Amino acid sequence: MEQEKKLTEQESLHLITMMINKAKESYHDTGIGAIMWGAVIAICSLIRLSEVYFEYRLPFDIYLLTLVALIPQIFISIKEKKERKVKSYDDAYMDYIWLGFGICIFLLIHISNNIFGEWGSWANEYRNVTGKSASFRFSEYIAPLFLMLYGLPTFITGAACKFKPMLWGGIFCWICCIISIYTSIKIDLLLTATSAIVAWLVPGIIMEKEYRLYKKEQAQLNV
Amino acid sequence: MFKDLDPILHSQLRLAVMSLLISVKEAEFTFLRETTNATAGNLSVQIQKLKEAGYIDVIKQFKDNYPQTICKITTAGIKAFEEYVKNLQSYLTNTK
Repeated sequence: MEQEKKLTEQESLHLITMMINKAKESYHDTGIGAIMWGAVIAICSLIRLSEVYFEYRLPFDIYLLTLVALIPQIFISIKEKKERKVKSYDDAYMDYIWLGFGICIFLLIHISNNIFGEWGSWANEYRNVTGKSASFRFSEYIAPLFLMLYGLPTFITGAACKFKPMLWGGIFCWICCIISIYTSIKIDLLLTATSAIVAWLVPGIIMEKEYRLYKKEQAQLNV
Repeated sequence: MFKDLDPILHSQLRLAVMSLLISVKEAEFTFLRETTNATAGNLSVQIQKLKEAGYIDVIKQFKDNYPQTICKITTAGIKAFEEYVKNLQSYLTNTK
């Protein structure tokens, strides 16, 4: 590009549009974080489903895997930030949305554990007095709450980044949320695993493919 | 009467740089060079001119022991760019 070339008004407007579009296209997420979280949540839900279905218990809570997954996530975030040549205005908002989502999930786990503790002792007492078990099962109402939360940042990210697989993934989480209100815990876990695959794993794979293609194009341009 | 177009912005490479910077929060020098296909020397000169006009901020730092230059549009730069686009549009509307 020549530095002092004078432009006509039409050329100026065309150049502005072209550069703004190029800037928009420059940001590509690696998709690794989405792939990892989609896989982790799907695996955790399917293992919990197998525990319920085959009536066995692992010596630890399988959902602790989500805490372990935080370590690679921190490294992935640092690496991605270092590699980024451009910082968009959306980046900061997206970081806060996903951080807020993480905080909400851990708060929900804490709240539901507390309610479950209270409810458990009440249900035991009811069984001792009446000889019948309580028909209300609190555990069957946890999954819809999580699915509702899964949908929110996914939907916002999909809409803000104009990335349809994630937008539909967010909507899928909310559909599963509604269904899971009326289904048993086994189906709830299956819906949670499917939501994680549809909302994060699949969009993550698509993002990763697009990122690789972008990198390849960039490498070819720089040869 | 048409207003004169800002001479700082009415030049191909400087306008390209400003158009890129208006769309993002900040960008590395290498990104600007790759996107505009300009040479490093040429781009440096134009960035310096934009900096002197107060349209952009240039931050020089080190990243993994390598020098890194980050460019960011200033409030004055945003205002000038908006004014430039407005004038450009009025030119085009009135000359149709």
